Amino acid sequence: MNSRRVMAVSRKVLQSLRHDKRTAGFLVLMPFFMITIFGYTFGGEMKNVEVYVVNLDEGSPNGTVSDLIIAGLSSRDTLDLRLVNSVDVARQKVADAEAWAAIVFDADFSEGVMTALEMLRQGSPVVPSVVQVYMDATNPNIASAILSELQRSMQIVLVTNYNLVPPITVSQDSVYGEGAEFIDFFAPGVMGLAAMMVTFILSIISFVHERSTGTLDRLLTTPVTEGEIVAGYAIALGFVALIQSTVILVSAILLFQIQIEGSVILALGVILVLGIGMQGTGFLLSSIAKNEFQAIQFLPLILFPSILLAGVFWPLESVPAFLRPISDFIPLTYAVEALRSVMIRGWGLDRVWPDLTILVLFAFAMLALSTYGLKRRR
Amino acid sequence: MTANIQQEKPKGKKPDFSAYPVYTSKLRKEFDGVIAVAGLDLRIGKGVLYGMIGPNGSGKTTAIKVLMGLLRAKSGRARLLGERVPLKKNRRRIGYMPQELAIYSDLTIHENLELYAGLFSMDPETFQKREKELLTMIDLRDRKDSLVSHLSGGMKHRASLACALVHDPELVFLDEPTVGVDPELRAGFWKYFNELKSGGKTIVLTTHYMDEAQKCDIVGMMRLGELIAEGTPQSLMEGAGTSNLEDAFLEYARRGSK
Repeated sequence: MNSRRVMAVSRKVLQSLRHDKRTAGFLVLMPFFMITIFGYTFGGEMKNVEVYVVNLDEGSPNGTVSDLIIAGLSSRDTLDLRLVNSVDVARQKVADAEAWAAIVFDADFSEGVMTALEMLRQGSPVVPSVVQVYMDATNPNIASAILSELQRSMQIVLVTNYNLVPPITVSQDSVYGEGAEFIDFFAPGVMGLAAMMVTFILSIISFVHERSTGTLDRLLTTPVTEGEIVAGYAIALGFVALIQSTVILVSAILLFQIQIEGSVILALGVILVLGIGMQGTGFLLSSIAKNEFQAIQFLPLILFPSILLAGVFWPLESVPAFLRPISDFIPLTYAVEALRSVMIRGWGLDRVWPDLTILVLFAFAMLALSTYGLKRRR
Repeated sequence: MTANIQQEKPKGKKPDFSAYPVYTSKLRKEFDGVIAVAGLDLRIGKGVLYGMIGPNGSGKTTAIKVLMGLLRAKSGRARLLGERVPLKKNRRRIGYMPQELAIYSDLTIHENLELYAGLFSMDPETFQKREKELLTMIDLRDRKDSLVSHLSGGMKHRASLACALVHDPELVFLDEPTVGVDPELRAGFWKYFNELKSGGKTIVLTTHYMDEAQKCDIVGMMRLGELIAEGTPQSLMEGAGTSNLEDAFLEYARRGSK
């Protein structure tokens, strides 16, 4: 392996990207749009969920419990409360999909709570008070957010105003991801996804082009070896993958304040190895594609399983058991796991090495197969 | 003129490969049973400007591709500059311009030349001098930094030729180097080919222009994968009893198919 020849090939690949301003712009902006769009759609906490409240509670001598609960709900911005007087109006709003839920406190709500509290203190059986919630549960995330907000507010009211401590308390102490939001979970996945997409596309298109225009043949008549061509491409496209990951990291930090616990260098190293492996995959598949159009057809074939089965947006555990073996064969699965461990859990090389080893083996196998595929042509 | 125009087959057991930069013996190539090159015996001496002529499909390009190691021969032997094909160490001493041009259209002329200079491990100063010389020869000095995709067809051809010559090779294969090149520039090319030849370089080219074939030292006439006649243009015309190479080719083809 002659480093000058390898660098001559690398430089050539990067030069042609530099001349193609649109592609160069795409390479930088694509990851930025990916993380921004995914971030604003999926990321962060749920906010301003529209909910109608009908408060018919007539109160009790000891105060009006429903008012306290409503005040608790309004003090947070998860739910956007609209107070109305009619149950029918509120229910109609939900039926018309203008609101996600209608919460109804009946006239005897406070009275019922007081009776229940009294009985609880005496140790006799309790008839619980009822809050009615009419819900549009089309979106399960929103539905559970509404219910948990309501539960939370009721708990607080009971504890602070009536000194009634629920028998069990949950003491939360996160080992990892303290304060993590959903974007922290999928930002590493998006980094991996962007890197693999671009290295794969660039490599398969470039090589189909090299084959169809005869430039690859011409290269092979010079002293450059097959391995040097493959290495030259790997270096150039690995570099592109690193730039993209940096764009994603910087935009995720600036726009979404994601937290990075571990080493950024190690995270970029994982990206580099994944990029090199996918470059090899593109190279291999380029030999069975006759033109750019056929090459592009491989994209959904590679992309969809990676998005859905590699644990980018949903945890691997949610992949159905019979599809799990496919996940195990997708390199992105290991990259996402390693990136997540480094970025959220703050793990070092001593703990992510199993995933990284698989990625390195994958990259080597792809480079070796690409080189072998080229040699066979002679 | 010091060209070693010696075409009779060497006698004795061991042929002297060093005298022949291009040496093939019964070289044969088939594509799915269709014969493309049928037992080609080429002996091309050092400093010779050799022209291969023949209709499309006569096996010129295939023969060159086999020699360049891009296709594998079915049988037979070939040596370039004394080394058995496919080559390893002699690749740096050989230049090749394929018919399909094969230059990067998303790079400038300079970047294309720079790539080949890098692949042939040229040092930067030598490359700089060489580049100037070649750009002058192909008359594209002022277009050095233009993207190849912005050039005309003839200009691309010239740029491709420059890529084949950048490392100052001893032996050059040029597959139709003058297609789409205007007559004035073609004259310039031929002047340059003759200069290369005087410098002891061996040039093998294919052409469709009979007036160009006339300027070669040795012409090999190919038909159906075979060499049907070979010699100086003068001797070929005399042998066929014709006054031009085109008629001579038709005469040899007629005799061959009898």
